Amino acid sequence: MSEDSFSKKLMTAAAMLLFRSHRKPGVKGWELKYRLGKNYMKVIDALNSHLKRLGLEVKTVFEEEKDFDKARFYVTLSHPMLLSDLVTAGWSIDEVAVLAVALSILASRGGKAPMKEVLEILQTKLPRWKAESYLERAIRRGYIEKTDEDVLLMGWRAKVEIDQRELLKSMLELQPENRQEPGEKTRPEKQDQEF
Amino acid sequence: MSEPKKVKLTREELEKIIKICESVEKRGLDPFTVNVKELLSTLRKALEENQELDHYVLDAETMYKIAAIIALQHKWLRDSAQALFVDAQLIGTKLLAADKKSIVRAFLKAWRPIISLEQVTFQRLKQGIDYFLGLPPRSGERVWGWKISDREVELLKAKLAAEEDVDEKIRMLHQELLREYESRGEIDYWDFIRRGGFEESFERAYLLSFLITEGFVDVKRNPLKNEIKLIPRREKAERKRPSSLVIVMGGEAR
Repeated sequence: MSEDSFSKKLMTAAAMLLFRSHRKPGVKGWELKYRLGKNYMKVIDALNSHLKRLGLEVKTVFEEEKDFDKARFYVTLSHPMLLSDLVTAGWSIDEVAVLAVALSILASRGGKAPMKEVLEILQTKLPRWKAESYLERAIRRGYIEKTDEDVLLMGWRAKVEIDQRELLKSMLELQPENRQEPGEKTRPEKQDQEF
Repeated sequence: MSEPKKVKLTREELEKIIKICESVEKRGLDPFTVNVKELLSTLRKALEENQELDHYVLDAETMYKIAAIIALQHKWLRDSAQALFVDAQLIGTKLLAADKKSIVRAFLKAWRPIISLEQVTFQRLKQGIDYFLGLPPRSGERVWGWKISDREVELLKAKLAAEEDVDEKIRMLHQELLREYESRGEIDYWDFIRRGGFEESFERAYLLSFLITEGFVDVKRNPLKNEIKLIPRREKAERKRPSSLVIVMGGEAR
């Protein structure tokens, strides 16, 4: 393959992975194979090394078996975000806190928990309407699923974006008092007063 | 009397076991809260006491539900092992004790959001326009399009001319009706449309139907005399209760 054609394939792969073409983000392996050829994994690896320089990476999520054609490929951040990045990205601290609490409870209970119990914990720190509204938003975004019996489950997005072992590990390391990590930039949050 | 009551009691017990199992399964509760050993011994007792076919079905269902709970316990253990055997209670306590920022900071360590763009680019827009312009016209339905052939233009002109011609004929028929009404009064429908051959009569009846529908002509029908009279108007009349009238031409029936 010539260098020119490889770089064209690299651009195609970047466009396919970065632009959302389906209801959900990400591209299936067979779609990449169709556009990039049977050696699509080489293109993806090359793209991955390019993206890593920008703090991004290509994440492969397998279904049941380890088959690349059936797997789904996403571009995600390669490093953890800072609190200040969150606000820049349009998230409020309260919203992420609700997401963190709900997903931690679900991860600690094997991916399933009654909504009532999750809300009970959230209500100790937030008004009910706020907790419910952020939980609904998390459901809409695909982080959480809700069954007809009001049971919450880990959503597809949480399975892609969250490292569950890391989440539980860092939650276990939580300290009761508010500690700021060295070198972390945070701006004064007006929502802090609510906690 | 005590025998059926006992049967009913064991049946209720089994139904209760089924409900417990279903509740654990549906609500995602800890499957180890169910004492499987105790449930199995109750089931064995019930099976020994009631050896009817009907009861066996319920026993089998209970057995299936208990098996599902055992499968859930297996999954629970596997998930706990994957989650480093973290106690859900401990996580709950930690979450309650920590402040919002610490929770978010801990969450960020495990969170790698998906990056995806939804904005349209100039290139994508151009692709879209090119695609649209390249689309073939839909057969039989699309008259207007980006490229209209000369033949389509000719057909369109002929169609418009035909429509103008019909409008003129209707206008003339209206004038004729008004003139006849002024000289003779109410006009008999059949006398009015019967001019020339069948084709001309048919055309007059067809054009007249437009005038009637539009409200320029009133129709008075006398079923006893089998008469249909026409009363033309200079101005369009508002139809308060419009109704339809079927008139058959070219046959015995009128």
